[in-house]
Amino acid sequence: MNHKLNTYRLMLLPYSVWSVLFILVPLAFVGYYAFTDDSFSFTLEHFTRFFTATSTIANDDGTTQEVRTYVLIFLRSVRLACISTFICLLLGYPLAYIMSKAKERTQNLMMTLIMIPMWMNFLIRTYAWMTIMQDTGILNNILESLGFARIRIIGTETAVIIGMVYDYFPYMVLPIYSIMAKMDTRLVEAARDLGCGSLAVLRRVIFPLSLPGVISGITMVLIPSISTFYISQKLGNGKFLLIGDVIEGQYVANNLHFAAAIAFILMVILLAAMAVVKYGTERYVYGGESE
Amino acid sequence: MDKIIELKNISKSFDGETVLDNISLDIYDNEFITLLGPSGCGKTTTLRMIGGFVQPDQGDVIFMGQRINDVPPHKRNVNTVFQKYALFPHLNVFENVAFPLREKGVPKKEIKEKVDEMLSLVMLSGFANRRVTSLSGGQQQRVAIARALVSHPRVLLLDEPLGALDLKLRKDMQQELKKIQKSTGITFVFVTHDQEEALSMSDTIVVMSEGKIQQIGTPTDIYNEPMNAFVADFIGESNIVDGVMLADYKVRFAKHTFDCLDAGFGKNEPVDVVVRPEDVDIVPADAGMFRGTVTSVTFMGVHNEIIVDIDGFKWMIQTTDSVNEGEVIGLKLDPDAIHIMKKSKYSGMFGDYSSYSDELDELSNPGGEEE
Ligand SMILES: Nc1ncnc2c1ncn2[C@@H]1O[C@H](COP(=O)(O)OP(=O)(O)OP(=O)(O)O)[C@@H](O)[C@H]1O
Ligand SMILES: [Mg+2]
Repeated sequence: MNHKLNTYRLMLLPYSVWSVLFILVPLAFVGYYAFTDDSFSFTLEHFTRFFTATSTIANDDGTTQEVRTYVLIFLRSVRLACISTFICLLLGYPLAYIMSKAKERTQNLMMTLIMIPMWMNFLIRTYAWMTIMQDTGILNNILESLGFARIRIIGTETAVIIGMVYDYFPYMVLPIYSIMAKMDTRLVEAARDLGCGSLAVLRRVIFPLSLPGVISGITMVLIPSISTFYISQKLGNGKFLLIGDVIEGQYVANNLHFAAAIAFILMVILLAAMAVVKYGTERYVYGGESE
Repeated sequence: MDKIIELKNISKSFDGETVLDNISLDIYDNEFITLLGPSGCGKTTTLRMIGGFVQPDQGDVIFMGQRINDVPPHKRNVNTVFQKYALFPHLNVFENVAFPLREKGVPKKEIKEKVDEMLSLVMLSGFANRRVTSLSGGQQQRVAIARALVSHPRVLLLDEPLGALDLKLRKDMQQELKKIQKSTGITFVFVTHDQEEALSMSDTIVVMSEGKIQQIGTPTDIYNEPMNAFVADFIGESNIVDGVMLADYKVRFAKHTFDCLDAGFGKNEPVDVVVRPEDVDIVPADAGMFRGTVTSVTFMGVHNEIIVDIDGFKWMIQTTDSVNEGEVIGLKLDPDAIHIMKKSKYSGMFGDYSSYSDELDELSNPGGEEE
């Protein structure tokens, strides 16, 4: 019997149990399903299918084209997720910066405003965007009443991107803001003292120091937006299936093994991407070797 | 010597609280000047005003003849060594020091030369590629100094740069800083609340209290001729007693009339008399000008620090003679041991060692309270 468990390890115990039960075991199941067929014997067929399955799609000019179905969807997911993440960063970074400079009361208010949408169910948020962007929706009514032509947004990639940006924006702002809020103002003063104007301070001190926040913001937006589903179905009118939609579809259709395989591939690629980003920032931003 | 910085009638308040009250100060080229005063007296604020981080409410900051009140920090030829160093954690030692040079667009080769030169000046030559977060406090300090000096500012501002270091390191750094100042010829404006540090390093000391300058002078001036009871008490140990100036060179205190070296006071003007503990001679009881009872003796290594009760007023005296508690001793003062100050608002607030001796009593004799 081991009576040497100290309090620290005792406190850790529930969390260890929790992570084994709800993280490791499910992951093992995903892996197990991904590499087996319906009779649970080993197979790589799901992976082969993912990378080789083709289908025919119609181009705008009426011609048709053979494409690798899942690879195409996967690349589309990555592309849309990257665009959304980039937009989130572009909008979120200045906001986080401005917030961190504001008076404390203003900061709290802005924080609440950013968080409020997160309190609403995301289905409802998505439906709200549908109402806004529909052909006969709020946006188009406003445009029309102002004398502009109606535009078609719903069912376009733009609509999907708008939906994703709206959903994941807080996850970009919060980590950047929290880094900026606790940034040592004396470093800014030191930079000014050593000859930096406002822009140079931003470029040479504030931005590099906020990078950990940027990285975690990017991670927190990119990963869920790559695997998101539903937004694309509703705002894209189902025309822009994303990899998350495919997983959901396969799951609903009871193709658990194939769904697990896709999830597995997604996970491996995301982990690899994250490792590269982490290594890259540590090496080139914080390693700081000079010539 | 040329004036490099002038502060003219500067006042500043924060939230209605006056922090600097009509301060005027001239800083000369190549000097090591120290702002000395207790916590909260406005030293940092004065320094930040020179650096450009605080604007005066009233008065002018003049730099080499030009008013620079509205010149932002990055355009001032003045660098700062901050209280907690403020090194850039995302840059290594080399890049921290190179920081101001890169901003100026100095060619790479020259940057390398200058940074190497600076690092060797602060004795950190092998540390160029180290991360600043991996350095000890003293090493970080040196990096901060190198970084502030590398672009050869006319003036270096140092805000309690040695405050976080242990005593030994502190002494070493004091010497080094002084050496660096001499060899670079850069004007140092140094802030400290440690009077010993100020006395040992400075060409000029500015004693501040409650947002006002109490006295400006060389260390010896400040020590030997304190302007008022605050300065006398803040710099070194002092016995400060009430006296009356009977005439020029004649002062009466402790029920005795003494010869002194001070003149120019009104006839019978009440004054504060300062006597430094080391300037009192101990003689046999009947040979003294006045006498007192030893109430405590503390061995301090080189000398004894004794508290002597003279008509109810407790004096501190430092002596190498050995005396015993309870002994009645005679005391002698040479004219140059006596320094006369005009009465000020600080009169009566400092310079009596009764509380000091009480403390000692309590320490040595925990049971017996007197009052
Ligand atoms: N930005 C500010 N806002 C409000 N009050 C301030 C500000 N800066 C300084 N003060 C106040 O001004 C007074 C003087 O501060 P200052 O920092 O100049 O003191 P100091 O002499 O450097 O003290 P220390 O030895 O503790 O560093 C203090 O009472 C401080 O609270
Ligand atoms: Mg200070």
